[in-house]
Amino acid sequence: MSSMHAGSIGRKPGIAGMFDYRTRLTISLLAPVLLFFIVFNTIPTLWLLGLSFYNYSLTSGMPPEFIGFRNFVQIFNNRNGIWFDLSRTFLFVGLGVTIQTSLGLLLGFLFWGSKAMPGRRVALTMLFTPMVLTPVATGTFFRFIYDPDFGILNWILHGVFGLQPIAFLTNPATAYWSVLAVDCWMWTPFMTLMTLAALGSVPKAELEAIEVDRIPWHKRLTLVVWHHGKFILMLGVLLRTIDSFKTLDLIIPMTKGGPGQATRLVAMELNKQAFESFNIGWSSAYSVLLLLVSIAMTSVFIYILNLRRRRA
Amino acid sequence: MIVARLRVWSYYVLLWVVSIVFVSPVLWIALSAFKTRNDILAMPPKFIFRPTLENFAHLFARDELWRQVANSVVLSLTAVIIAIVVSFLAAFCFSRFKPKGTDFLMFLLLSIRMLPGPAVILPVYLMYAGFGWKDNHFWLIMFYAMFSIPFSVWILKGFIDGVSVRFDETGLVNGGSWLHVIFKVVLPQVKPGLIAAFIFNLIFVWNEFLFNFIIGGVSTQNIPYALAVGTYADGGVAWPFIACLTTIYIIPPVVFIYAFQKYLLVGMTFGTVRGEV
Amino acid sequence: MPRRTLLKGGAVAGLAGIVGAPFINRLQAKEAHPLAGKKIDMNILGIAGWLPSSLGVKMSPIFADYVKERFGYQVSFGFAEAPFSDLFQKAATSLATKSQEYNIIISDSQWLGALAKPGWILKLNDVIAKNKELQIDWYSNTITEAYQIYPDGSKDLWGLPQEGDTIALFVRKDMLADPKEQQAFQAKYNAKLPQTFEDFENLTMTEFEKVAEFFTRPDKQLWGTAMQYSRVYDFCTCYLYPFMWSQGGEVWDPKTGQVEGILNSATNAKAMEQAKGWLKYQPPGALNYGIAEEIDVFTQGKVFSCFQWAAVGLAMITPENKDKVMVVPPPKHGKGAEAKRIYTVGGQPWVINAFNDEAKMRVALDFMKWWYQPETTLEFAKRGGNPCDKATLSNPNFDKINPWGRAYKYMLEPGRSRDFWHDPKYSEMLALQQEGFTSYMTGQTASATQALDYIACGQQQILHDEGVAKTAPTDKCSSVSL
Repeated sequence: MSSMHAGSIGRKPGIAGMFDYRTRLTISLLAPVLLFFIVFNTIPTLWLLGLSFYNYSLTSGMPPEFIGFRNFVQIFNNRNGIWFDLSRTFLFVGLGVTIQTSLGLLLGFLFWGSKAMPGRRVALTMLFTPMVLTPVATGTFFRFIYDPDFGILNWILHGVFGLQPIAFLTNPATAYWSVLAVDCWMWTPFMTLMTLAALGSVPKAELEAIEVDRIPWHKRLTLVVWHHGKFILMLGVLLRTIDSFKTLDLIIPMTKGGPGQATRLVAMELNKQAFESFNIGWSSAYSVLLLLVSIAMTSVFIYILNLRRRRA
Repeated sequence: MIVARLRVWSYYVLLWVVSIVFVSPVLWIALSAFKTRNDILAMPPKFIFRPTLENFAHLFARDELWRQVANSVVLSLTAVIIAIVVSFLAAFCFSRFKPKGTDFLMFLLLSIRMLPGPAVILPVYLMYAGFGWKDNHFWLIMFYAMFSIPFSVWILKGFIDGVSVRFDETGLVNGGSWLHVIFKVVLPQVKPGLIAAFIFNLIFVWNEFLFNFIIGGVSTQNIPYALAVGTYADGGVAWPFIACLTTIYIIPPVVFIYAFQKYLLVGMTFGTVRGEV
Repeated sequence: MPRRTLLKGGAVAGLAGIVGAPFINRLQAKEAHPLAGKKIDMNILGIAGWLPSSLGVKMSPIFADYVKERFGYQVSFGFAEAPFSDLFQKAATSLATKSQEYNIIISDSQWLGALAKPGWILKLNDVIAKNKELQIDWYSNTITEAYQIYPDGSKDLWGLPQEGDTIALFVRKDMLADPKEQQAFQAKYNAKLPQTFEDFENLTMTEFEKVAEFFTRPDKQLWGTAMQYSRVYDFCTCYLYPFMWSQGGEVWDPKTGQVEGILNSATNAKAMEQAKGWLKYQPPGALNYGIAEEIDVFTQGKVFSCFQWAAVGLAMITPENKDKVMVVPPPKHGKGAEAKRIYTVGGQPWVINAFNDEAKMRVALDFMKWWYQPETTLEFAKRGGNPCDKATLSNPNFDKINPWGRAYKYMLEPGRSRDFWHDPKYSEMLALQQEGFTSYMTGQTASATQALDYIACGQQQILHDEGVAKTAPTDKCSSVSL
């Protein structure tokens, strides 16, 4: 690229002439993205940061009142049980992503060898359908499926195992796991997709080589498949972790955070504070905290990703 | 010989069973779309019943439905197309010219996706409310586009990285401009990435509820909004309505996934390889 | 301007005058109105999936015809809806931007404070004083307290009743009338199965419990009753308060804003335990019941009786069970002469967006005046709505219009129905107590006292932060949790 003589071509007079063609091109290519970014991300984030130092409730009719770090102090003091929400959410994310990845890997491997299967495309499409449902609809309908009076799941359990109807979503012991189960149902196909993509990234030559050399299964996995596909898999895990942290649309129709606080995740509490109680200042502080948590999580991931990439 | 074939076929059956198990709740919803309300609520559940199309008739008789469908389609397509175009240009720049701060910017872009919905929308709502941009198609589309950009940039950059620089050089040496290189030389080679990014973001905006509810308004209602709002009808929970609308709404994304499956599988490699899947 | 244009203009004007003369005459025959000849667009924000709200909305074309005839201007209505649990959010996010997106809003009674304090809705004292049509004799002061006044105890009026609502008991009278059931009940409990409206009027919860137990037959897929325990919106709260109020418990002191010590009393703890005890006569899904789920379960014939809002009577009484349903007042709590019933009042007032421009404000006022005309009110009742004015309700034929009319009126008598706080922070307080109440009902929190302490402390903090409560939460509050 440096051999290109772009520097001497296209020098325009005036300010534009200060930048050479290549720089101008760079700027014009980046300009739209930067514009979007600044308007919709930077400015709102700064606004958020600013608001977090105020006591501002939209419905009180009073103007915002500067209170310094009081919002943050309250958060630190576990007002409203924030730390419980966070630990619940981390558990949800951790368990969910683990289950989805393991199951996804399993299914991915299972489907990998089925190129010749009739109707493979249809089967795979069916497999991917859960990801595509509107979460609002999924939540509402699973509420129906789990319902002890009218739901089909209890009917199956009763017929097969003779169990009494279980109120999955209102029993504190089962509510959390029931919601987690739906989340796994929705997103395991995503990890399957990533697994298939990762497996596909193994060069054909190597695949044939390991067949020919009759290398044992576990060595195949670690030496060949993992070596090539780990970037994609890790990326999938990263994306899933990020998205799982944000789960909201699914929970609201199913349990609305109940029973009690059993399924109250971070996004739900934030939604309630920001848009039902309209405590703008406090919600902003909470959002800032979440932003820091997210940045920390993603930095860790990207670091691991780059590490592996560099080593590879 | 027969044992081998039996093994292969039982393997296929297993795969089909797995697929069907995963899709069964969706099938249950679709089945309910054709039942009367009493049939849906019947216990024990009815698998054999007289199908009816009256739910669909009621659905299409609703005034707002067409506007909501139109909004869903317009908002999704426009936002994602804008996002892809913008992302492609940016990804090209990151890949080829590697300006200072590329990694930082890529990381920042990803940071937008990290925050939960309410956290993102809170300052945006205040901003929109302050400027009067609420309930406005253009500004809603812009916001959706912003949300689709990070994922697209990451995928496209990966793919463009995989396109050898020599293609660019050849193009430029032969007298083409950079525009020619970008759109005629590199673009066709990253098709899987474009399609994967397009489909994923489309599905996201297609199913998006919270942002539309908060910064949208009367004129920008989309179908997920209709689903959330229409859950309770005058006579209890509106199961027929939900089943019907969900079933119809899921058809376009499923069709996309079926039609472009190959591209999707390649696209999700993020460009690390361009082989067959 | 060139002379030709002037001449042309003059000719057109003259022609218009000649052609328009008959119109001018007609206009003079109608009432003179500042908006005559104009076309106005109005938006109503209503409650999704709520019958009375959709009735109000569906009747607006009648209003459009009325004003066209009488005043000579045209109105077209647009509608937006959100379900109960999201409606306040929708209204607030719009009103906070001072937008005219929603000109008339059907608000829930508890939100009056939250909408009035920031000045988002119109204060109606002057409006009512100036317009005779809005000075209506309401059926009881429950109406004024619930749908109009904020702050509690003051004289400021912010809303006009759209739909009155009280809790009633829907029962299957076919099961009651069955002689076999009557005999079996007599044999088992040595008491008569209640049959008439008056029987239920005198019934206490203890006596009703026998009836509920009698009809709880899970193997036949039938249960005694259904109440609401759902965490969503205010469902659990509305059904728990009657247990508390009827037995002497209170939820706060409106004058001092004090909650701690009042809400977490022993009476209220006992009330919660009783409410939880009633779960054994209800279907297994009862912990998730809100309004819609109760409709489902009653219309599918799974329960003998159902405590339900009179407003959804139309949905509860379907063509299939039309002749089998009787609507009676819900039972009293307590024993003997001191037994009383205080249930939660529901219903929604109309509120008017304070930021409407002059034209829209005028239309909104015309709308209110039209709404309370006797013909409109009667039409509303005929379609299944519950009006609130004394004239309509005292009409001897009112009870015959809808099967639940009599029970509805009965519960509107002074002292039988009560609303909860109209405080602007009601939403936070409500969310907190919904969490606490459902936590106890589902068994997540073992003791009712613990749940009540948690709620009382939290609400005290909220009210104290707001400046309404004089005292801060006590020290023991730092250690309470669910």
